Amino acid sequence: MLWIALHLPLLSLESFAATYCGAADAVPMALLDAQHIAHANPVAQALGVKPGLKRATALALAPHLVLGQADPQRDAQALAAVAHIALAFTPSVSLQPAQEHAAAPQTVLLDVQRSLRYFGGLDALVARLHEALAGLGHRIHCVHAPTAMGAALLARLHQQLRCPDLAALHAALDAAPVWLLGPGREHWEALQGMGLRTLADLRRLPRAGIARRFGEALLSELDRARGDQPDPREVIVLPDRFESRAELFARADTTEQVLQGATVLLARLVAWLAAQHAQVRRFTLAMQHEARRHSDTATPTSLNIALAEPSRDPAHLLVLLRERLARLPLSAPTFELHLCADEIVHRAPPNSELFPTPGSEAEGLTRLIERLQARLGNEQVQRLVLVHDHRPERGSPAQAVHADTALSVKLGQRLGHKGLASRSSPHIAPRPVWLLPEPEPLPERQSRPWFEGRALQLLSGPERIEAGWWDAGLAERDYFIAQALDGALLWIYRTRLPLSAGAQGWFLQGRFA
Amino acid sequence: MRGGSPVMRHAFSPETLHPDLWRGHQFGRHAEHGLPSGFAALDAQLPGGGWPRRSLTELLLPHPGIGEIRFLSHCLRATQRSGRPVMLFDPPAALSGWALAQLGLEVEQLLIVVTRAGPAQIEEMRVAARETDETRTRARLWALEQALKSGHVGAVLAWLPPRLRTECLRRLQLAAHAHDGVAFVLREMAAAQHPSAAPLRLALRPGGADVLALRVLKRRGPPLEASLQLALPPVLCRSARQRVHAGAAQMPMLHAATFVNLA
Repeated sequence: MLWIALHLPLLSLESFAATYCGAADAVPMALLDAQHIAHANPVAQALGVKPGLKRATALALAPHLVLGQADPQRDAQALAAVAHIALAFTPSVSLQPAQEHAAAPQTVLLDVQRSLRYFGGLDALVARLHEALAGLGHRIHCVHAPTAMGAALLARLHQQLRCPDLAALHAALDAAPVWLLGPGREHWEALQGMGLRTLADLRRLPRAGIARRFGEALLSELDRARGDQPDPREVIVLPDRFESRAELFARADTTEQVLQGATVLLARLVAWLAAQHAQVRRFTLAMQHEARRHSDTATPTSLNIALAEPSRDPAHLLVLLRERLARLPLSAPTFELHLCADEIVHRAPPNSELFPTPGSEAEGLTRLIERLQARLGNEQVQRLVLVHDHRPERGSPAQAVHADTALSVKLGQRLGHKGLASRSSPHIAPRPVWLLPEPEPLPERQSRPWFEGRALQLLSGPERIEAGWWDAGLAERDYFIAQALDGALLWIYRTRLPLSAGAQGWFLQGRFA
Repeated sequence: MRGGSPVMRHAFSPETLHPDLWRGHQFGRHAEHGLPSGFAALDAQLPGGGWPRRSLTELLLPHPGIGEIRFLSHCLRATQRSGRPVMLFDPPAALSGWALAQLGLEVEQLLIVVTRAGPAQIEEMRVAARETDETRTRARLWALEQALKSGHVGAVLAWLPPRLRTECLRRLQLAAHAHDGVAFVLREMAAAQHPSAAPLRLALRPGGADVLALRVLKRRGPPLEASLQLALPPVLCRSARQRVHAGAAQMPMLHAATFVNLA
């Protein structure tokens, strides 16, 4: 059995400062719990602020202290992200309950004995674990030991320790101070009075005496740590739905500040997805605004993002979120963000390849289209659709591209389906590439059309097009190709019968490019 | 100095040191061969024997509709045949899909990115989104840069405004290094006077019916004074072209006002 304990000593402060814009390490910060300081970061401790002080004392010692409220819920959510990342490495992950009653757990335990072979050894597994956890930005103590309790206890003490077998574990535990054990903390004064500093001292005393004076709990904890008593653990269960909240440090007015908070939430979402090898297809970010007036009801602004290709790449999700947020007007400053995943897909991630293949190119193209549509709008990325209509202005309307159909059309092409054009190959006269959106009327003098101060020489034609009697766009036209002064070719037409409704005379429809 | 026969000195040519070095009378060498343009006379004048990959090519036109799409159709067809997408950014007018199909392009595979609003929507959008031309140009440049940097696009055709800051084009040229394919930037002739970061600049003009007159403004090599006349894929039938040549001398011209294009 091999257990890894990941202990987060500064969990409360880090979860509090997660959405702080700027260097959180340089600012003195402390958390309050019922008017007493519960946690203080190293900068604050250097100024003299220690846990247990009163609020007024702390502020007197450090006037620039940033104070916040300790919130076990918030800590639990932050730890859940770490636990979900650990779930990608082994299914048996459990949380070590905190020693104080009301506090949130700060240690995650992983049983990695059965995953060693898959990851290629303990060193490789630990390296990957650290790489995965680096994104969260927490300070982590990592300790290996043969027993769960032993690893959990030693992780509080050492930042990095390896106990490959029971002998090393016993040696490390013997050197550990007595207050490491939960019950040892309560009886710390009594133990100190008896001259018992380390666990080695405790072990030398008769067990019955210790049990009578300090209770069975102390002994059982020590036994479980040393491996003398079995220590079954309950594994955590991954929640079915992902819903996470983050309260922003300061009221967010700009996109960048909202994105700072959204980054934290996206990291948690990616951890949850990675634990079940799934990818997200649709998620919603809801932003709570502060009510400017009393009469304002708090209706959150919701941003729904749907992906054409399910993905769990945090960089890609952040880019999409940034582009959509940039276009969304917010009515008031935001103080809380809420992220929930609406639709997920269980699929193996695509293989990353060294050389670009058609599959990876198509996926890259889909992501590019998604990014462009996120910033410019869905209607601005278009594709032409060929329609069998003789009227040139309706022959190829532009339609918005659906990024997921871009893939399927490419695949269809690869299978050898001929396009519409080559299949039908109508015998039509040459058409100009540029069509004016509205045909431009040309003045007529001496029964010839004039363009840019010159009579146009008709070179080719007429081509008669009559269509559209079935709807409002009746077109009865004779088309000619004419040459302009500089030699460019123009496509002009003359409306045919004076009986047709609409303007009469010559019109410029397009240019040959 | 030793007496006797003089020491033979090997002539040292610095251009053999590194592929990026070249002399003024030579063509610049490229790491990759250019994409053939379909016109042998033009390929002979371009460094690399064709359109350069991984860099911008600037085409300057007096107005859209002089044969530029027919001019580029050969290399766009080749790009589509190799299975890579072609993207158009802000074409100046509506495209006729049937005309593109006649040129041999696969119409359904073209992607068009529009940042310009249609004439009917301009006022509403401007009022609603408080957009200006500046914002739209920035959006267009951003979209172009994203497409070039992604490296998944085969060919890019972009219509840019004549007045652009030089750093915008330089930034696009840098982004084009990641793009394995041709990238054409089409602008109005007024931009010829301003310097540009594109290593290849061509000025196009209609040289008659179905003929394009091309001048090389800038290239990695000796300057080319003469202009090339390229025969485009024809739109007119043969009899119509004969009529053009015959009627050239008899065209009635109106001399009410003569505008001289100084560009």
